[in-house]
Amino acid sequence: MNIVISRGNLLSALQQVIGVVERRQSLPILGNVFLRVSDDQLELRTTDLEIQIGCAVQVQNLAPGSVTAPARKLYDICRGLPEGSEIELQEQEGRLRVKSGRSRYVLATLPAADFPELEQIEGQATFEMPSAVLKSLIVRTQFAMAQQDVRYYLNGLLLEVADKTMRAVATDGHRLAVSEEAVECTSEAGGQYIVPRKTVLEVARLLDVQDATVKLGLAAGQLVMRVNDCTLVSKLVDGSYPEYKRVIPENGDHCAVANREAVKQALTRAAILSNEKFRGVRVGLASGVMKIETQNPDQEEAFEEVSIAYEGEDLTIGFNVTYLLDALNAMNGEEFALEMRGPDASGLIYDEKIPQHKYVVMPMRL
Amino acid sequence: MAPPPACFRYPVHVPIHRLADQLVNQIAAGEVVERPAAVVKELVENSLDAGATRIDVEVVGGGLDAIVVRDDGGGIPQAELALALAAHATSKIATLDELEAVGSLGFRGEALASILAVARFSLASRTAEAAHGWQVGGAGAASGATPEPVAMPCGTKVEVHDLFFNTPARRKFMRQPATERRHVEQRLRCLALARPEVAFGFSSDARRVLEFARAAGTVALEARVNAVCGKEFLTNALAIDEARAGLRLYGWVGLPAFARNQADLQYLFVNGRVVRDKLLGHALRRAYADVLHSTRYPAFVLYLELDPARVDVNVHPAKTEVRFRDAATVHDFMLGAVHGAIRRARPDAEQHRVETFALPARSTGVAGAEDTPRAPPAGGGFSYSAPYRAGLALGRPGAGMGVGDWALADAVRRLEVPADSVPAAAEGDGNYALGRPLAQLLGVYILAENRGGLVLVDAHAAHERVLYERLKRQLAAGAIPSQALLVPESVRLGDDEIERLLAEREKLGRLGFRFDRSGPESILLRGVPPLIAHTDCSALLAELASGSAEGDSRHLFDEALDAQERVLANVACKAAIKANRHLTLAEMDALLRDMERTERSGQCNHGRPTWVQIGMPELDRLFLRGR
Repeated sequence: MNIVISRGNLLSALQQVIGVVERRQSLPILGNVFLRVSDDQLELRTTDLEIQIGCAVQVQNLAPGSVTAPARKLYDICRGLPEGSEIELQEQEGRLRVKSGRSRYVLATLPAADFPELEQIEGQATFEMPSAVLKSLIVRTQFAMAQQDVRYYLNGLLLEVADKTMRAVATDGHRLAVSEEAVECTSEAGGQYIVPRKTVLEVARLLDVQDATVKLGLAAGQLVMRVNDCTLVSKLVDGSYPEYKRVIPENGDHCAVANREAVKQALTRAAILSNEKFRGVRVGLASGVMKIETQNPDQEEAFEEVSIAYEGEDLTIGFNVTYLLDALNAMNGEEFALEMRGPDASGLIYDEKIPQHKYVVMPMRL
Repeated sequence: MAPPPACFRYPVHVPIHRLADQLVNQIAAGEVVERPAAVVKELVENSLDAGATRIDVEVVGGGLDAIVVRDDGGGIPQAELALALAAHATSKIATLDELEAVGSLGFRGEALASILAVARFSLASRTAEAAHGWQVGGAGAASGATPEPVAMPCGTKVEVHDLFFNTPARRKFMRQPATERRHVEQRLRCLALARPEVAFGFSSDARRVLEFARAAGTVALEARVNAVCGKEFLTNALAIDEARAGLRLYGWVGLPAFARNQADLQYLFVNGRVVRDKLLGHALRRAYADVLHSTRYPAFVLYLELDPARVDVNVHPAKTEVRFRDAATVHDFMLGAVHGAIRRARPDAEQHRVETFALPARSTGVAGAEDTPRAPPAGGGFSYSAPYRAGLALGRPGAGMGVGDWALADAVRRLEVPADSVPAAAEGDGNYALGRPLAQLLGVYILAENRGGLVLVDAHAAHERVLYERLKRQLAAGAIPSQALLVPESVRLGDDEIERLLAEREKLGRLGFRFDRSGPESILLRGVPPLIAHTDCSALLAELASGSAEGDSRHLFDEALDAQERVLANVACKAAIKANRHLTLAEMDALLRDMERTERSGQCNHGRPTWVQIGMPELDRLFLRGR
């Protein structure tokens, strides 16, 4: 294998795939990136046996072949080389020679034949959508995913497909985020797919491109996503997701509409004096005003008042302020609606203009 | 079809019959006499009940070949000798009322008969009135012969030969004679601690092993404790003597820094009876809960006294378990007394004098030599000379951080310093217990000067404890919130476990747990304390429900709170200043003053000592001053 490629192209290709490579490896080859040259294409691939990302770039092909080399080292070298330089990669006697200007590096390699590959499952339901749509589904919900929960199925994002809509749901058992978008499907498809947490983060990263079309394939146990020249294959979480629809409250009788930015800032300030472990704040609704108050173990106290549109009985509910802020941060409208039913019942946050995105936050008894 | 195994096969009809007395006794012996140490225990307890002031025990071959127990107690009259060997014959109780308030160690009337059933046995006794002693005996069963006269001093002598000679199966279970001897010795040490007013002697294979003189009064008791537990124990222990609600607890508990790697220095006596009790054990474990690492065992010698009627000893043939009529009161009393002692203790000058800092004769000579190779970190004698000086070489440029760190930490670990207790607060005119800070040693230790000499403080460990106690106070002071769950979690539990949880629903609610019954064998967990919201709360609740099955409901809350405090301990550990954090004198001063105000500041959350005192005499000794 022998190629010449510009630093910019190689670096951006490596950036696409490097996220999968864990810093600590029990299997050495998983720390490597798979490189294969055929025609005028360089194919790069990395995997952690759960996720696999591959991408292709144009190169000047001097000799075809394939090899695997330490991914992070190659990436760091590439990044450190001056902008606009040309890089020559040459495999020689089981080593990968990296040459650029007067810099020379020799990297250890492992045989390309040993590099594991995730087989793509047949019979997927495939969807095509603008990258911004999938990106929005993820950004609006992913913060609510659980992290290392014993209920392993919560450590991921639920993608639910039905009636030409795709819905993303995430919950950690204390709050829930749900977002819905219309999608085009090539076949009659429906079902629930739990995407692992790491895959969600990787997918979000690959979607940082403008105006691309994403091809998403979902099958039992596998997700395949193609965007531009990249292909991501991931295993899915095997498990059944809780019945999330039941916990989304309906017809809350205390409904307030408020300026998102104003409430967000008031909460952020009040959070400074909340108990740093519990992060509890009291949110009170009264006619035309939202009161936010909290105190910490040092008896320091915060009071905030924000004007809102609310007519109804006075009501006060305790919340973990982080959960409220996460939800408000994931929205982008100017105003938001807050629906509550009682001090022990969940609160619902949504944007009245786009009500298909909803956030449910459970109260905290303070 | 294959015939069923032998044990399942039974003949058509075997008439029901009464078991022979000897077989009955052999069955009883299975419970009471499981090894030579048990024989010794039964015989010595008989002697104690007979009012002996001196008891001598001899064993041959670890007690398997012979056990001889001699005492100077009241003795048994000739007429009762034969009856003494019969099963269920005793002088200790006569009615049920007496059983319920039994004060003697024995009462079942089984010991002699059981031992007799599995050994060659002879019993010789002389009362004060008799002119000479009388002896009866037998092998496997009483010989039935009339007592024979024998010359002996007042008291009773029991000889047991060839233990288990007629039950070869049991004999096969015995360990090496040396092991059995160790068990006998251990049991005797226990008994000696239980009854300091009695003199004990123990010899094995004609070699004197133990000799405890009669002890009366506190000083003598301390001498007995020293003899049994070793001198270090009392130097590193806190004395307890508390009485409340008809209960009295006295004795000593080891400082947390003196914890052991095994549970070998744990002696607990209830009314003079050696007891290993779950309830009391739990109280002690909890008393040490957050000053001790979970893999370390506290040392203690404790005597609990209460009205015999309030404790039921008729639970287990060997009587190592007891049952209290009001278990909760006893548990709380015990916990409160020990916990209080650990928390309240103030340093006393005597205790802080570090006697064992003295150099062993061997290393005194080399202490001054410049090129002594460093002693290995583990094993052997206490030789800290070289590493100690390496660590103290404050300004020496060559002293590498790693070496100094290791060496000093090692030296400090080896100092038997009662590094516990809340240092007394200021005694006016700037006389602080932990002194004025002088400098920080290699980014790890604070050096301070007080009236006694040098104080070394592990800054991280100390800060960790100060933070932890503050966090715990905050947790206890404010109500614990409860984070509601989006999807309530169903926890499967037994019916009585659920009943127990529901009975304490309100109190657990105050600790952040909210739940409802959702079926015959499940509850629905609706809210959890936010501190542990991201851990497996349903498992914790299930554990709480099953864990409290044994004791009273109090444990439930303790454990629920403990789970949260463990999180706080972690928070404190992470938030505390780390090694290599440069501290100014003002910061060090503040930390020392904080320590003086903080309870349990003697050790960090993991049980490591936070500070040690090195007195002037010890420093003088290092430099051979005044010799």
